[in-house]
Amino acid sequence: MASYQVRTFIGIFFVDENKKIISFKPFPKDPKEVAPLLNEKSEAPAEIEKFVKENLLKYAIEYKFVKNQIEFNQFLTKVNSELTKQKIKESASRDNLIIHVNNAVEELDRSINIFVERLREWYSLHFPEMDRVIENHEMYVELIGKFGDRENFNDNRLNQFKEKSSGMEFNKEDIETVKLFSSDISKLYELRKEFTNYLSKLLKEIAPNFSVLAGDVIAAKLIAKAGGLERLSRMPSSTIQLLGSEKALFRFLKSRGRSKSPKYGLIYNHPLIQNSPSDKQGKIARLLASKLSIAARIDYYSKEYRGDQMKKELEAKVKGILSLKK
Amino acid sequence: MPEVKKTKFYGVFKIKGKISTINLVPNQKVYGEELIKEKSVEYRVWDFWRSKPAAAIKNGLKGLPIEDGIKVLYLGIANGTTASHFSDIIGKNGLIYGVEISDRPFRELIPTAEKRGNVIPILANARKPEDYENVVLSKVDVVYEDVASDDQVQIMIRNCEKFLKPDGFAIIVIKSQSIDVTKHPRQVYKECLQELEKYFEIIDKVELDPYEKFHLFVVMRWKG
Ligand SMILES: C[S@@+](CC[C@H](N)C(=O)[O-])C[C@H]1O[C@@H](n2cnc3c(N)ncnc32)[C@H](O)[C@@H]1O
Repeated sequence: MASYQVRTFIGIFFVDENKKIISFKPFPKDPKEVAPLLNEKSEAPAEIEKFVKENLLKYAIEYKFVKNQIEFNQFLTKVNSELTKQKIKESASRDNLIIHVNNAVEELDRSINIFVERLREWYSLHFPEMDRVIENHEMYVELIGKFGDRENFNDNRLNQFKEKSSGMEFNKEDIETVKLFSSDISKLYELRKEFTNYLSKLLKEIAPNFSVLAGDVIAAKLIAKAGGLERLSRMPSSTIQLLGSEKALFRFLKSRGRSKSPKYGLIYNHPLIQNSPSDKQGKIARLLASKLSIAARIDYYSKEYRGDQMKKELEAKVKGILSLKK
Repeated sequence: MPEVKKTKFYGVFKIKGKISTINLVPNQKVYGEELIKEKSVEYRVWDFWRSKPAAAIKNGLKGLPIEDGIKVLYLGIANGTTASHFSDIIGKNGLIYGVEISDRPFRELIPTAEKRGNVIPILANARKPEDYENVVLSKVDVVYEDVASDDQVQIMIRNCEKFLKPDGFAIIVIKSQSIDVTKHPRQVYKECLQELEKYFEIIDKVELDPYEKFHLFVVMRWKG
């Protein structure tokens, strides 16, 4: 005679084909211990399983697992809380790292900008000519850390200015303090580099196809904006195309169509769009968004790497668009 | 001395002019609501700015099929604000299966559920009822849906087909803005109701303005 095992949250039932319970092996009455036991599936036919499930309260009382419905409900609640906690732990997957690192980079950029602006104004008291000559922020910060007093500067671009500078004199303490500031800003630049290297590694691991098509910077921002790879993979490509343009979209909706509807969000910064004439950008944006949406799905569901091939296809199609007459 | 009055809604009382339910777990607030004690019974004020059934009651709903001891499948339970009042009403013999797709709200929902003992938290997508059919032991008396998505009518129908008793009730909150922003809300409601009428008998419907703009609260009976 056939007997089936039915796994329930109170224990395992052995049932014959006439739906008679042959025996019952209870689980421990501790929700934390029960939750992992439920990961295995029962192998009984659906009909038998359904029968046991529907009568579970009755059996739980018969086999003295619980006294009454109240206790039964409480136990069911606790076990499912444990299961859900377990699921959340598993699903809090590594793409959350991308979100945090990306956002940290964006915040670092904002802070660095504020500090460099301050440093430029401050140091211009002493060496105002340098502000225009050295436009690159990081370079500006580095030079101050390296040389300090303008007297000590040895840099082709600046030597001609230092003798006849119109800036005021800084004493030793003035110089040391501004150097301290610049060296801390340099450290922020280093931190930023560490973060972006790490971000590239994460992207290769978690979204290899997506990041090869989008480029690391845009890929990380899109994943962060979408709230993770899973959400991104569920988005239609028209949404991906507009991600990051929320403000413009809102303006459009509020104006009831009187202002221009935005055509693209973050992906606008992609080189394939940036390097194309403006009358072709809309079409390329749509194409890019649809490829990105496919790539996000592959990354979420399988991670099988097809990035190089997809990138070639994408570039060929863009070429096609660019060669079209208006 | 505040006077407690019964209302026509099962387990819902009026105290100091406010609607409320009897707290299943005394001294515990769920979402910062007011607690009022009267003759050793503690009532939780049901905030119609925070909870849609309360707003529906405020706006003239005729009846709510939530009663002592029933089983409810709740789609889009979020942190359990509304579900906590249902949990008060159905009592310890009742059961709420609460489905929620986002993991965020569970930080608040799980402690609430564990204290109450009649709310089962389920992390799942309501579009995939197969994923939680193991957890739902038997058919339920009521399916409540508040998921704010463009396919919310389909989600409701699929879940009722799987989990609702033949003469069970379904309650849906239609959010017109999630379904089509370009159409007038009334037009969206009309189209949703037409679709729903193929499966349900519409018993009552109220708009939730101003408590929830562009939302329609609909109580229905499953034609099964
Ligand atoms: C408006 S909130 C619900 C508020 C809650 N009913 C209350 O009154 O306390 C909508 C919820 O539905 C959830 N949701 C959206 N789509 C869903 C789906 N497909 N399955 C399950 N939950 C979903 C959202 O994550 C969100 O928490």
